[in-house]
Amino acid sequence: MRILVVEDDTLVADAIRRGLQDAGHAVDCVGSAEQALAAVDAENFNLAVIDIGLPGADGLALLAQLRRQHAALPVLMLTARDGMADRVGALDQGADDYMVKPFALAELVARCRALLRRSHSVAAMQLRFGACVLDFGARRACGRDGDIALTRREWAVLECLALNTGRVVAKDRLLQAIASWDADIGANAIEVYVSRLRNKLGAEVPLRTVRGLGYRLDVDAG
Amino acid sequence: MPAEPRASSVSRRLLGLLLLPLGLLLGIGLFVDYRSGAAAIHGGYDRALREMALAIGAHLHDANDDGRVDADLPPQAIAVLRADSQDDIHYAVRTAGGELVSGDADLAVLPPTSGDTVFRDARLGGEPIRIVELALPVGRARVTIAVAETLHKRSAALRHLLASSVITDLVQLLGTLLLVWLGVRYGVRPLRALGEQIAQRSALDLAPLRAAPVPAEVRPLVHTLNALFATVREAARAQQQFIADAAHQVRTPLAGIIAQLDTLEREPMAESLRLRLRSLHDACVRLAHTANQLLALARSERTAITGEDFTRVDLAQLAQEVVAHELDRSLGRGIDLGAEVAPAIVRGNPWLLRELLANLVDNALAYTPRGGHATVRSGADASGRWLEVEDDGPGIAPHRRDEVRARFARLPGSPGDGCGLGLAIVDEIARVHDARFVLEAGGDGRGTRARITFADR
Repeated sequence: MRILVVEDDTLVADAIRRGLQDAGHAVDCVGSAEQALAAVDAENFNLAVIDIGLPGADGLALLAQLRRQHAALPVLMLTARDGMADRVGALDQGADDYMVKPFALAELVARCRALLRRSHSVAAMQLRFGACVLDFGARRACGRDGDIALTRREWAVLECLALNTGRVVAKDRLLQAIASWDADIGANAIEVYVSRLRNKLGAEVPLRTVRGLGYRLDVDAG
Repeated sequence: MPAEPRASSVSRRLLGLLLLPLGLLLGIGLFVDYRSGAAAIHGGYDRALREMALAIGAHLHDANDDGRVDADLPPQAIAVLRADSQDDIHYAVRTAGGELVSGDADLAVLPPTSGDTVFRDARLGGEPIRIVELALPVGRARVTIAVAETLHKRSAALRHLLASSVITDLVQLLGTLLLVWLGVRYGVRPLRALGEQIAQRSALDLAPLRAAPVPAEVRPLVHTLNALFATVREAARAQQQFIADAAHQVRTPLAGIIAQLDTLEREPMAESLRLRLRSLHDACVRLAHTANQLLALARSERTAITGEDFTRVDLAQLAQEVVAHELDRSLGRGIDLGAEVAPAIVRGNPWLLRELLANLVDNALAYTPRGGHATVRSGADASGRWLEVEDDGPGIAPHRRDEVRARFARLPGSPGDGCGLGLAIVDEIARVHDARFVLEAGGDGRGTRARITFADR
């Protein structure tokens, strides 16, 4: 995947470039909003990582411009200011995610991967947890001891969680994902499906219960 | 706080200032009224007295035209003359030579020296009397007719006059004071409205006061207050801007250093070097944490806050967001972090409240041992809307619970890499939200429960 990094601080930009390159991505680094606009017009990018505190036109202005011209491009915003305005402004103007500096490089790489995955079709999605591989295109789950058979509803629940790796998914949302099959399905049905998924997939797939919130599938190893 | 001096009320001051001069004016009015009323009463009775003297004069004759005067006054006429329910009437008719023609011998008669009629006050038998002396020619003779009466009627009339004047004037005085009181109350109504406008504001509300309903006299006060508000607002904004710039200047290089260390750690290297790199990395993360906490503390100080960015905040949603955000840390520490939320809406600064809750969760995660639990709750009940974080860690001894709120306070033997600002930030943010921050033991006497209760507004 090709990623555009818009960051004027060379130390930060260089570290991000190394981190993303190590994860197998092609990375272009630019230092201003103007250069960024020129770059997206000239090349096709799959993701942009934009620092809000750019010299000249800032990252939020760039984001607004990108949303007008390249609406489909996923954007991860970086900010060194943790004030309200930056967060709300970024998310309101259509940023897909944001991170506050300083950040752990591994987390930035994981979030980029999640954004890239979400922007692509489910058919191409493949998750790997240790020896367990989940291939959503082929509807095939493979564990240490060979293939694992999952029902359509179990796949639906897993898909919803996989599309949001690293994020907590509320029970209601999982319920909606399978409600098309069963009109009157109870909330505890989700608990049943999740517990079956855990039994079938084993401990290698980190499917966590978040007390009072829902479930979360941890970010995979790629 | 020093005791405030007793507030003086404008209406009370005005009434107090008006009472003395008004009373004085009404007293003078009363005196003048009484004087003129008394003159009228005396004039009337004096005329009646003169009529009597003239009536007596009509009965005098100089029958023989020899200068000797006869009085043709039958007893019935004298009885009619003296017929008075209240006063004793005396009369005497004397010639110029002083000879008594008729009447009472004990009534002293002084012939008028100028004109033909004289009224004067005198005494008769120890009693005060009013006497009229009338010089009258009768034939060739001249006589002086004196008629006198005691003063009972007059005194009664004067008393009556005085009483009615006093009552009228008192009613006037009271009526005036009442009107003044009502007028002042009505007049100071805009002042009261202004007072209420100020009293109802939160201490953080620095929006200008409305000057429209305020009388011209108070307008300078409102303008001065508004100018002061603007200055404070500006100062808060400048402080926020400074903190934001400082945050950017501090965090950007820190982000570069930490991210670079992250990339370095992936390179192949000797184990001893890796350990040194690791501790360098940890120190940078700690430094970043301290910088974050210092910035958060500066940002949550009262002087940096204006009510402008206070909005509706859903505590339940906030609790869920913070739990989701802190989940990786809790998983890393082997602590079960969860939420039990019920709807609770407050007015507040969303960023600050998030910072508050994140610090409470951070603390719970730092002090709860592996395998423990931490739970974020929100709700509303009779005590108000609340937010709490409970853990089943070692807890804080009751006598230390105030101590830990102080800045840079770290209890001896504390684990973790905290800088001791977390609860100070929580305390500060609770304060600017008029919320109560209570630290107590958890549900079954174990662990710590930190609860923030928002006052009803």
